[in-house]
Amino acid sequence: MIKFILKGILRDKSKSVIPLAVISVGVMVTVIMSGFLNGVFSDIINQNAKLDTGHVKIMTKPYFENKEQLPNDLALLEIQELIDSLNLNYPDLIWTPRIKFGGIMDVPDKEGNTKSQGPGIGLAIALQNSKSDELKRLQLSKSLRKGNLPTESGEILLSDNYANKLKINPGEKITFFGSTMEGSMVFQSYKMVGTVEFGSPLMDRGTFIIDIEDAQNLLDMENGTGELLGYFKDEIYNDQNALVISNEFNSKYSKSQDEYAPVMVTLKDQNGLRESLDMGDAFSGIFIFIFILSMSLVLWNTGLIGGLRRYNEFGIRLALGESKRNVFKLMMVEATIIGLIGSIFGTTLGIIFCYYLQEYGIDISSDIENSTIIMPSVMRAYITSDLFYVGFIPGLFSMLFGTALAGRGIFKRETARLFKELEV
Amino acid sequence: MSKPIIQLKNTSKTYPIAGKEFMALKKLNLSIQEAEFTGIVGPSGSGKTTLLNIIGSLDKPSTGDATVLGKEIKSLSHKEAASLRNFNIGFIFQVFNLLPVYTVFENVEFALLLQKKSALERKKAVMKALEWVGLEDQANKRPDKLSGGESQRVAIARAMVKTPKIVLADEPTANLDSENAHGILKTMKKLNKDLGTTFLFSTHDEKVMGYLDRIIHLRDGSIEKDKKMK
Repeated sequence: MIKFILKGILRDKSKSVIPLAVISVGVMVTVIMSGFLNGVFSDIINQNAKLDTGHVKIMTKPYFENKEQLPNDLALLEIQELIDSLNLNYPDLIWTPRIKFGGIMDVPDKEGNTKSQGPGIGLAIALQNSKSDELKRLQLSKSLRKGNLPTESGEILLSDNYANKLKINPGEKITFFGSTMEGSMVFQSYKMVGTVEFGSPLMDRGTFIIDIEDAQNLLDMENGTGELLGYFKDEIYNDQNALVISNEFNSKYSKSQDEYAPVMVTLKDQNGLRESLDMGDAFSGIFIFIFILSMSLVLWNTGLIGGLRRYNEFGIRLALGESKRNVFKLMMVEATIIGLIGSIFGTTLGIIFCYYLQEYGIDISSDIENSTIIMPSVMRAYITSDLFYVGFIPGLFSMLFGTALAGRGIFKRETARLFKELEV
Repeated sequence: MSKPIIQLKNTSKTYPIAGKEFMALKKLNLSIQEAEFTGIVGPSGSGKTTLLNIIGSLDKPSTGDATVLGKEIKSLSHKEAASLRNFNIGFIFQVFNLLPVYTVFENVEFALLLQKKSALERKKAVMKALEWVGLEDQANKRPDKLSGGESQRVAIARAMVKTPKIVLADEPTANLDSENAHGILKTMKKLNKDLGTTFLFSTHDEKVMGYLDRIIHLRDGSIEKDKKMK
């Protein structure tokens, strides 16, 4: 009987092609939307984690309270001892110091006079430390636009936009003017060896990257750092674990009289990310729910119309001695077959499209040129395991739901009345 | 005299129409013997279709009894009624009602699929039924490639393939020209004789009358006249 039904599905285009097309498109759009929203939120989290927040971050309390001002005079000191203790207590995390500082970058001409000048934000990371994961984490090799990565002390990288603004090329000298952590004026020349693009307009506007030891020397911060970032070893942010760790760490220092006592914050507790991401999560949840619901309604309608269109066929089958239960059962079998094929086809198309969006993305850099938050300039989809089944919810269940509603009419009516309605 | 295959005793059927009860059949008493070739004749609204529906176990009487092949229609469950139709009653419709996406063979085969017959049994029975109606060479055609007469022959083969005891035919010649109508009637008459199948027609068609053994005239839900022709 199933073979007989399959023949009918394959031969009757109104039975198969239209519902299949509707389901495939619906499922495809659901998969794309889901993958895209997934990708955007994951990118925001990853980019913030890599460039700024870590999965957890340790600062002194006053630094944390004034962190927008990059107050290195309130920096953490004796960090090696702190890192050793953290490694012992939290073996699932990798700790890395970072210093952020501001100043003026000056590019001299051949005579030593200022050719161009502009404010910049320095990001000091463990560039020269072969044991550090920072190069890999920030994907500097991939982000390199011109020149090469620093190989020795005294070499720095500039964001590509910033380098263009300052009209400086790799190999040329650049001088930093600023102040040490104690407030003394400092200036130091470096060799700019390459330019990078972070993919975040905020960072791409005016950032230079310098080795942490060079920065410590420059700012008189020996064995000190503004921020100590912790990353889970699998590089995946886990908010629950991060909260447990930060609460445990902070409880140790909660009664400390030291005004420079360290404080640990999680990724989501920085840059207003918890509110933004929770709101984003809620909106995407609502959006996906509404989308799935509306797709279900469309597909339900398709199932219903498909069922109604076939009242005549059902009438003939009832007359030939098929029971109502069997007619209903076979309608559901058909709906399952069409729903499954449509869902598989739609999911495949959706994942192909998501793959394209994952590889190439949608460039929104011109729309967020002046953004003050760290967010990706290219919005990408991410293919995750849930994409392989998320489309089946509207695809299969709504088709079954629609068919069940259409089939309910067959069950409810008296056979003779149905027979008359069926125009048999 | 043979045993009645269909028996109605004081059978009435009422429908609610616009808040009122409409009596489609009024205390009908009727007995049809095995292998009869009977026509039910009457104007629209006389109760012909209601009567066929009750005999075909598609509907139940409101009061009175209707017994078909020894089964009391009123007491049958949906499943039992479907089983009665599946094994013992064939239907032939005015508009043929073939399933358009299936071939002639598959249309005829469908009733046997419901009986869960094996592929070999089905093939044998379908080809035999198509032979009865002279369409064995059209087995792989789709209904849209057939003439009206050929389509009605397929419908007859579909009704006959399960060798039912009773065939109910609702205006089977209404959509056919004279030549095809006579051809169809001759086929049915032959099957009636050869297989002993009981045929019950609802008809207006004068051409049909000449083939009938018995004509039952219905008017306003009551039997006006019941006449044996031979």
